[in-house]
Amino acid sequence: MDDHLIQVLSNIGMITFIALSAYVLLLTGEISFGQQAFFAISAYASGIATAMWGWSFWLGLLWGAGVAGFAAFLLAWPTLRMRGLYFAIGTLAFAEMVRLIFEVFHYQIEIDGEMVGPNGSEGFRGIRYIFENNISEFQYMMIIYALLASVLVFLFAIERTRVGAIFRMLGEDELLAEMQGVNRTYYKVMATVIAGLIAGIGGALFAHMNTYVEPKIFNVMLGVHSLAYGLIGGLGTALGPLIGVSLDIGLLESTRMFTGYRMVVFGGLVAILLIFRPRGLLDEEAVHAIRSAWRRKTPSTRQQSEIDAPD
Amino acid sequence: MVDFVQNTLDGFFIGSSYALLAIGFTLIFGVMRRLNLSYGPSIMLGVFAGTMIYIQLEAGLVFVACATVLGAVLAGIYVERICFWAVGRGAVLASMVSSFAIWMQLEELVTIFFPERTYAFPPLGDFSLEFGPFFIRGAHLVMFLCAAVLTVLLHLLLYKTRFGLALRAVSENPLAAKFMGINTGLVVFSAFALASAIGGVAGFLIASADQQITPLFGLWATFKGLIAMTLGGMGSIPGAIAGGLLLGIIEAQSTWYLGAEYRDLVAYFVLFAFLVFRPGGLFGQRLATQNRLSMQRV
Repeated sequence: MDDHLIQVLSNIGMITFIALSAYVLLLTGEISFGQQAFFAISAYASGIATAMWGWSFWLGLLWGAGVAGFAAFLLAWPTLRMRGLYFAIGTLAFAEMVRLIFEVFHYQIEIDGEMVGPNGSEGFRGIRYIFENNISEFQYMMIIYALLASVLVFLFAIERTRVGAIFRMLGEDELLAEMQGVNRTYYKVMATVIAGLIAGIGGALFAHMNTYVEPKIFNVMLGVHSLAYGLIGGLGTALGPLIGVSLDIGLLESTRMFTGYRMVVFGGLVAILLIFRPRGLLDEEAVHAIRSAWRRKTPSTRQQSEIDAPD
Repeated sequence: MVDFVQNTLDGFFIGSSYALLAIGFTLIFGVMRRLNLSYGPSIMLGVFAGTMIYIQLEAGLVFVACATVLGAVLAGIYVERICFWAVGRGAVLASMVSSFAIWMQLEELVTIFFPERTYAFPPLGDFSLEFGPFFIRGAHLVMFLCAAVLTVLLHLLLYKTRFGLALRAVSENPLAAKFMGINTGLVVFSAFALASAIGGVAGFLIASADQQITPLFGLWATFKGLIAMTLGGMGSIPGAIAGGLLLGIIEAQSTWYLGAEYRDLVAYFVLFAFLVFRPGGLFGQRLATQNRLSMQRV
């Protein structure tokens, strides 16, 4: 594989994490403009761990995701009261606060005669673990996709359990779900923390791939994009965000098909797509149709025998 | 003390332009219950239309103002047709994401035609007033007066005309308004055009006070309007005015006492605190309305 392709695929993988994080909240019916905050928190936390404290990459990743998850846990409580648009604006305010705090956050130590660490709006240079340990770009891409696959499997598993059903129930009608005995607080906090953890994994991967992060990368545009990816791909399945990201970054940005006016084309296409499919390409109905078509094909022998039985 | 009052004055005058942005936002939110992220970018398109006839034709201030408002209204209509009229009424999220997609589109269109970082915009009221120790920029005074006149006109339109009545009816309950024979589609369309026109005026005033514009204006206008609207209470016009003024004053005070890098941080902190403790904003809706709004799902 050539370097450009690896770069593009790695980017798709990393951005999918933050899109998945927004998707988890969309399942519970909340629009979040603020998932980039957890991406940023983990990027900084894991970068500090590996570049400044000398931790290993995996420990740093765990630590970054953990800090992001904890931040999500803290955010979950005040935002429990917010619903609909209020939640969207509340998460936006939170994410912008996080970004602006990183703009004034200074924490540097001297390593080999060089100052390393977050330096306010100058950014955080020298997160070089991957290069110092001779992990090639291809290997790193495989790490990204292995993690992405695990997260996707985790989300698919969740969707098949009671928890997934409850998430979608809360997304459909919160009041009704509560009347069925669903503990709203518990599941909302859980969804927020899962979303924070997923964005956190992406953030740690992002920091180590780019070796450099600065606060303005994590602006609200990243958050709204990640939200849009989920909706473009479809809200029916966890593959939706991946499809959305691949369409945007993979198809348009990297092939340079519409250099200079890519967004004119893509923006228009998305707007038209949403007119015809307001819940994305693979929405719940499409997923259901695919699933039942699949079922009809494979275990048809059993169904057939059931029909034949009365004879 | 003198500093504090001077900051408050500065904030008040800048806040009047935020108030105009928020009024446009709140009008759209009021009749549609949806968020138009493309609001700022469509104003930006108007502002760039204004600057184009200023640079190319050296047109006077009045023509530049007309071009700005016209551009904003046309862009607003485009957004309304694509993102709100065409997308089904139930799909709140789709409308919002669609308006974001159109935002990206408009922003790129502007950067294709205007590749420089900044463009000149004709200045407005190049004078200043002094009262004892206090100082007021002429551009800010003109901005405030325009905003005040526009607010009064809007109030008359909403409370003294049949169109205003229809608009308020749709905002209260679209279905009931439809049963009363109101053409809700037309009312929504006009409200959108009206909001864009108000946004266009706000854009013109802000751009001529700064005497320059950048393609970042769209992002800036959308979020200033959104914050001001939320601070005041979504869907409320007096709230939008109060929220805009409050935002201006908060920004001026925090810039003075804490430094420019803390300005937005303080503003977002206040916004977050409002959402937690007083989600209805300054002029909060009644609890019933709030609950109804919050029950509307994605």
